[in-house]
Amino acid sequence: MRRVLVAWLFTVLLILFLYVGATALWMNRVKPLVLGMPLLYFWFVLVPLLNPPILGLLYLYDRRHNPQWRSGETR
Amino acid sequence: MSTAVILTVSLILVFAITLFGAFRGRLQSRDLEGWLVNSRRMGSFLVWFLLGSEIYTAFTFEGLAGYAYKNGAAAFYNVALNDVAYAIGFFVLPTIWLIGRRFRFVTQSDFIAGRYRSKPLGVFVALTSALIMIAYIDLNITGLSAVVQVIGNGAISDVWSDIIGFLILAVAVYLGGIRGNALQAAIKDILMFVALGALFFAVPLRYFGGFGPMYAQFAEKIPNYLVLPGVSKHLGVTWLITTVLLNGVGQWMWPQWFGVSFTAKNPRTLKLQAVFMPFYQLVKVAVITIGFAAVIVLGASKQINGNNVVMMLATRTFPEWFVILFTVAAMLAAIIPAGPIIMTSASLLARNVYQALRPGTTDEQVYRITRGLVFPLTVIALILTLALPSLIVSILLVAYDFISQFFPAVVIGGLFWRRATKQGVVAGLVTGWTVAAYLVLSGHDPLNGWNAGLVALLANLVVFFVVSLLTRPVSAEYLDLFYADAFPRRNSDTGPAAEAGRA
Repeated sequence: MRRVLVAWLFTVLLILFLYVGATALWMNRVKPLVLGMPLLYFWFVLVPLLNPPILGLLYLYDRRHNPQWRSGETR
Repeated sequence: MSTAVILTVSLILVFAITLFGAFRGRLQSRDLEGWLVNSRRMGSFLVWFLLGSEIYTAFTFEGLAGYAYKNGAAAFYNVALNDVAYAIGFFVLPTIWLIGRRFRFVTQSDFIAGRYRSKPLGVFVALTSALIMIAYIDLNITGLSAVVQVIGNGAISDVWSDIIGFLILAVAVYLGGIRGNALQAAIKDILMFVALGALFFAVPLRYFGGFGPMYAQFAEKIPNYLVLPGVSKHLGVTWLITTVLLNGVGQWMWPQWFGVSFTAKNPRTLKLQAVFMPFYQLVKVAVITIGFAAVIVLGASKQINGNNVVMMLATRTFPEWFVILFTVAAMLAAIIPAGPIIMTSASLLARNVYQALRPGTTDEQVYRITRGLVFPLTVIALILTLALPSLIVSILLVAYDFISQFFPAVVIGGLFWRRATKQGVVAGLVTGWTVAAYLVLSGHDPLNGWNAGLVALLANLVVFFVVSLLTRPVSAEYLDLFYADAFPRRNSDTGPAAEAGRA
């Protein structure tokens, strides 16, 4: 269970960092335009698209290692 | 087509959609568990829409564009907070579901009373959260009024439209339960996608000549809307970080969202929601884009109510028959999300207050009382909106900050820290609420750039830990049993908890 919790916490912090850490450090600007979009705007289009793959990887890891799956599916 | 015709046709369609959901859902709403959590058998498709409906409300349809119109890039906080919440929910919701199934919990107060082994704590949490939620019902009523005001130009009084809309809602909730609400939510969300998608593509093409030229004009004409703090002046990066943190941990503390987790048929359903719900956030980006575009198309005027810019652009851009689609989608966005709020408020009062104070009450009686409370609660919310709007505004100002204060009790103490006590929970909550109310209502939000709710949560956490360490926790044997399904022992062949988990 511990490694599942660590993986989950890492994912939460990664997503939090993508939204607020990266914004604070690098993305809080209008230019350069990316694909024609202002930089901060582009970032908030990109990150919602990145999150499903990130959480998908967590899902696969969790399915392999989390003992809760057995509790949840057996009844 | 006159505005009265548009409104009348829209109301008829709203009525038809809500009744459709109600009648489809009524067959699976024959007891409290069926009515409130669909007997824990809802699949991924409906849970996705049910969660989406609760998160993508009248605020998303109207308020978020208005927020972007007024405060610029600060509106992106609303995209970030839900995604952080989904990541948190990935583990938290299935774990709560496992505990809820074992003990047949259907409300957040059930869970807290069970974890801390304290019915009075359950009553306390039920009463306080029901009060906050009634104010939230009012927010949806106000959203409905905004639609009628823009479309109707006074053709139908907003008071009457509120009354009609929420009578429809009360009947639909009474009959259809959560299953019916989920079906209504699916239709509402599809209409919202179509309406907002159409506007998202039509505005750049009609007013700017395409997406590229629109973004170029954003960068050239309104650059202060595209950075933090920019046009908002005081909503900077520190505010973004603290607001996303507070609201990310606070999202699942809303009892109606917490309750949605009990509707799922298994933990896998909830984990899949966490994976796929972030795609929904692109709808919010589209709404924010419409808000930015409105600054250029309509002009940045203090005379314009930001909440109305989506409907103003819709009426300006589309033919009247298509505006009906917008009107129906916006009305449903105000009405449908209020369903679980009313149901949860009613169940909190009936099950966690009335039954707790009168233990002889049977489950069948609780079910009847819960459904019976749907109408009085709706009427109270309506009366408060009409009679005491300033009180509602004050409660709503602190509502999210207040609800987030449950995080230590529900997640930290509820799932991970066995040393947490009911005394710590109450002391922390009272501290958090006091600090939040003082800072927000005295105009100190943000406080030196920090979201006031997060400042309150930090104070709450300190008190929660200190008081918990000074008081007696629930016995380890009880907690072993409580967590047996949620945290099964690694060596599953030994130990009483593992045995209980397989029972």
